[in-house]
Formats: sequence, C-alpha cells, structure tokens
Amino acid sequence: MTAVGDRLLPGASVARVGDFARRFSLTRGALAANAWFVYLFFYAPIALLVVFSFSADRNVGRWGGFTLGWYDDFIGNTSIQNAIWVSLRVALLSTVISVVLGTLAAFAIERFRFRGRQAFDALLYLPIIIPDVTMAVMMLLFFSEFFDLLNLLFGADLRKGFASITVSHIAFNISFVSVVVRARLAGMDRRLEEAAMDLYASRWKAFRHVTLPQIAPGVAGGALLALTLSLDDVVVTQFASGPGATTLPVYVFGLIRRGVTPLINSVSVVMLVASVGLVLLSLFVQRSRGGGAVGPPGAVAAGRSRRRS
Amino acid sequence: MTSPVPAVGIAGITKRFGDVTAVDGIDLEIGDGEFFALLGPSGCGKTTTLRMIAGLDFPTMGSLKIFGEEVGTLPPNKRPVNTVFQAYALFPHMNVADNVSFGLKMQKVERAERDRRVAEAVGLVQLGGMEGRRPNQLSGGQQQRVALARALVNRPKVLLLDEPLGALDLKLRQEMQLELKALQREVGITFVFVTHDQEEALTMSDRIAVMHEGRLLQVGTPEDIYQRPANRFVADFIGRTNLLEGTVASESEVVLSNGMRVQAASEHDFGTKVAVSLRPEQAFLYRRGDSPAGWPSIDGVLREVTYVGNALVHSVAVDWISIEVRTPYRSTEVPPQVGDEVSVCWEPGGVTVVAD
Repeated sequence: MTAVGDRLLPGASVARVGDFARRFSLTRGALAANAWFVYLFFYAPIALLVVFSFSADRNVGRWGGFTLGWYDDFIGNTSIQNAIWVSLRVALLSTVISVVLGTLAAFAIERFRFRGRQAFDALLYLPIIIPDVTMAVMMLLFFSEFFDLLNLLFGADLRKGFASITVSHIAFNISFVSVVVRARLAGMDRRLEEAAMDLYASRWKAFRHVTLPQIAPGVAGGALLALTLSLDDVVVTQFASGPGATTLPVYVFGLIRRGVTPLINSVSVVMLVASVGLVLLSLFVQRSRGGGAVGPPGAVAAGRSRRRS
Repeated sequence: MTSPVPAVGIAGITKRFGDVTAVDGIDLEIGDGEFFALLGPSGCGKTTTLRMIAGLDFPTMGSLKIFGEEVGTLPPNKRPVNTVFQAYALFPHMNVADNVSFGLKMQKVERAERDRRVAEAVGLVQLGGMEGRRPNQLSGGQQQRVALARALVNRPKVLLLDEPLGALDLKLRQEMQLELKALQREVGITFVFVTHDQEEALTMSDRIAVMHEGRLLQVGTPEDIYQRPANRFVADFIGRTNLLEGTVASESEVVLSNGMRVQAASEHDFGTKVAVSLRPEQAFLYRRGDSPAGWPSIDGVLREVTYVGNALVHSVAVDWISIEVRTPYRSTEVPPQVGDEVSVCWEPGGVTVVAD
C-alpha cells in the first residue's frame, strides 16, 4: 500500500507530506494534552472528594490516614437517613407523576391542534429556561400564599414539607420529560396510530398498544432524567421545604454551614455514585432501545445547564 | 350474491382544510363487489376522499353511507371498513402474526377463532412461515402482503387501499396488480383504491372515477374513460393523445384551427371551442395520397421515428402542431422515412370531441 503511494507521489510533494506529518503530530500532541487537561479539570475534584472521604482527619483537605469511619457515621446518622428517605420518596413520586403528565403534554402538543397550543408549548419550556432561583422564589411565594389561604378558609394547618417539595419537583420535571418524549413522538409515523384506529382500536387503545411502545425509550429516558434532576435539586427544594422534611442535598448544604467534616465527603460520594449510576442507566436504556439520536443528549445537557444556573 | 344497496354512497361530500377545499361536493356510488379506482394527479382530493370513507378525516358537509348506513361522523374504529395504508404503516414493534391479529384483538375475538383467522389470512397472501418476522425483516412486497392480510382478516365490508403499489418497483407492481385483482375476486369484498397511475387504474379496476382539483370529472369503466373521455383533462390524463384544437361546426363536423373540416360527432353547441382527441394507436400513417378513401386525413411531414420495441412512434409535423402516431412494428415492412411527406388518417368515428 505505502509502496504504491510512494511511487505515485513526485519527490517534491514527498517532502511536503513529511512536513505535514510533523505538523500533524504536533497538532495531535496539543489535542491530546488539551484532552488530558479537560479530564483533569473535570475529574480531579471528584477524585479528591473520594480520596478525602476516607481521611481520618476531622478537617476536610488534610490527610490523616485511611478510615471508613465517616461512612460508618453516615450509616449511623438518622437525620441523614431521613433526608435520604425523603429524597427517594420525593424523587420517585415526582418522577411517576411528571412522566404521566409530561408524556400527555407532549402527546397533546405533537398530535392535536387546539387554541393556545403555541402558548402552551412555550410555557412548557419555561422551567428549563428560567433560573432555578426564580423558580424557587415562585414556589416559595405560591406555597406560602396558597397554604395561608387554605388555612384561613378551612382552618387547616398546612405547612411546607414533603408535599410542597414533591409538587415543585413535578413542576420542573414535567418540562424535561415532555421535551424528551416529544422528540421521540416527532420521529414516529403518525399513520401507525391511524392504522390502529382503522383496526378498531379506540384512541386510548391506539395510544396504549401502538404509540406507547414506540415512544417507550423516550419515556424511560425522561423518567431517569427526572429522577436524577429531582435527587440533585438543591435550590428549589431549599425554598419549598419546611421544618418537617428535607432532602439529602439540602441537608448536606445545611451541614456545610455548621462546619465541614469529611462526613460530607462520604455523603457526597454516595450521592455521586447514585447519580452517575442513574445517568449511565439512562444512556444505556436509550441506546439499547435504538433511541440514541433523538432528544436525550440535548436534554441531558439542558439538565446540566439548569443545575449550573 | 351482491347487494342492491351501494357499498359506498357519497352524496355532496365537501372537505375543507382551512381555506383549502380538498374535496368539492362530489357524488359517487360504489357497488357491492366492485374493484373501484379513484384516479387523479396528486392533490386532486382522491386520498382525502378515501380517508373520509375510512373515518380518518371527517367531511365538512355531505352524506357518506356504507351499505345504506350513515357513517360520516363515526370514528374509524366504528366503521366496517379497513385500510391498506400508503407505505403500509405496519406496527414495527410487532411481528407479522401480531400485526395481522391486531384488529381481531381490538374487537375481542376469541383466541381460538383469532388464531384460525390469522392463519387463514396469512395463507391467503402466501406468507405462511413468516409469522414470527418483524416488518423490517420483510421485503417491500412481503410488507404489502402483511398490510393486506392485516386488513382482510377483519372481513371488512369495504377494503380501502391508498396507493397500495406505489412503493414497489415496476416488475413487482405489475405482478401485484394481477394478484390483487385475483384476491379481490376470491374474497368478493368491495375494493376502493387510490392511485395516480392511470395504467394501474385501467388494468385493475371495474370502474374508475377521475378526480381533478377536488371534483369528480368522470366515472365509468376503463373502456368508457379511455374511449369516451368526458373532457379535455380526462382525455389528456388517461393514456396519450393528440388534441387537435377547433370549433364545433355542426353536430357531425368540427373545424380545426387550420381551417380543415373533420367528421366528428359531438353534442356541443355550434361554435364551442373543443379539441379533437386522436389516440396515437388509433391513427394510421400513409404516404401522401395513399390514404384509404373516405377516411379523414391530415397532411404533414414525418419528423421523427422512435423504435420502442413492439411499436414505432412517429412524430408528424403538421403546419401548426405535431401529431404522434403509434404503429405496430413489423420488420418485413419498409416504414416511411424521416422527411417523407405523409398523411395521418383515422377511421371515421375514431376520434372523440372533448371540451374544456
């Protein structure tokens, strides 16, 4: 192969090819260095976090020998466990509800023409776009006013807590689920539904037997995304939670204010492992069901930027 | 035993999408057991008409009856019709057997009965042994058969087919044309199919409805439509034809635009602008002066001869247009050469007069 190539190339251009190869290897080297730098930038903090979660010293960032003591503390700490329990319940409940509502919203926008459709479409994207803090303040105001009103009208004693956290998580998760599901729906042949209805299926049965299996990868991806977002959320939860209930991220946030110990590291490592596990599962489900290209990568990116904002 | 009630009765059906009128007040009766074609160029409203019969679109106004029963506002799942969709719309997540049994499942037909009918339908379209395959593991022709079986297994009163052969290549399409016709005879169900391919419509159907811009131009047998087109559009759309412009001079004579008088019967009023439609294969070519006595003829010069296998296509330049003449190819004859002075003739009565 190379012999043929040499014979075909005149002498002058062989020199230029060599020149090019040298420059090419330089570029390659620079690119590789850049890649390593980016990896370092991304993963060094995580590595430090993991390493120091095993440090025996009370001060974060000073190595005092290997210990599993902080994990032991973590296991023995009931308030952390309560927070985890709340986190999981909120995540599961808000995911289930937002998957149902988000899928229906996606279906409505994609399949039906109705008055206010475009406005609805734009509003649905709002929670993805607006800053977390804005969303959080809106939630705080809403729950305060709403609960005050109910307490006044019915003499009830409603306070912010588990329910308000769940509702606020549903509020932002619906958007993410519907974005992912919509991408999948848009790629589906509408005639499949018509064929189902032509074959004596009601609209519901056509959705259940034909549409849903077709968009299942999108729905599953949306669900995992919602679960991750809910487990990770600090800002909105902080504003929507009350003395009754806190989620794990909010609890950790509180720990920092009281003084940092490597306990936080161990808690963070557990959260990290759980989140990464979910994201990997999400990608795996998407890919294995052949839904790779549509929506999810963009949606995952959107989720990230949301957390950063 | 065919029913005297029409299988499909359409009266004054109009369909508007916003400002666009897709179907403009058509009346149509399709008989029990007929193989009926809705033919027209794309955008003529033929597919919309079919979708209204299926229940996938609802008419803006008018009446739609299936075997005498008004169905115009019923959803598709409440109508005794099934559809073979363009590009088939098979369910990709189900295998052949599940695709075919879908309609029966939705109608809650019992398991044993369902299995029996699915096996029967799969056999009918010669797909035995393919039951476990997914649609993406089948060829275009096989997918087409699955789509047919999926519709026929429900024993619809009317089967609707939307460009059923459009996705197949020419050879397969011609095979399937004959097969579909045989299948229709076997099951005895009314078939209504939509096509833009006039040859397909002529080959397969008992009757054809030609549509254009949402209106019905002519309904008739393939022979009616081909030999006696109702107007210029139909004459031009169905097969090839030469349209010689002129005006009606009397009930048996047309004056062509070059002043020549042609014997042609028409029912149009004196002075109406018309065209004389002369089919290429009904025209004959003679050397100038050799034309048979009593046959109408037009003189011209032979400009081009194209050999198309079984025939020769001649292009004859007459002073104001060029006329296409198609003659069977016989190797023993010496055909007229390009540049020869010739006459284009036809048997008396071999032309049709069409107005706009």
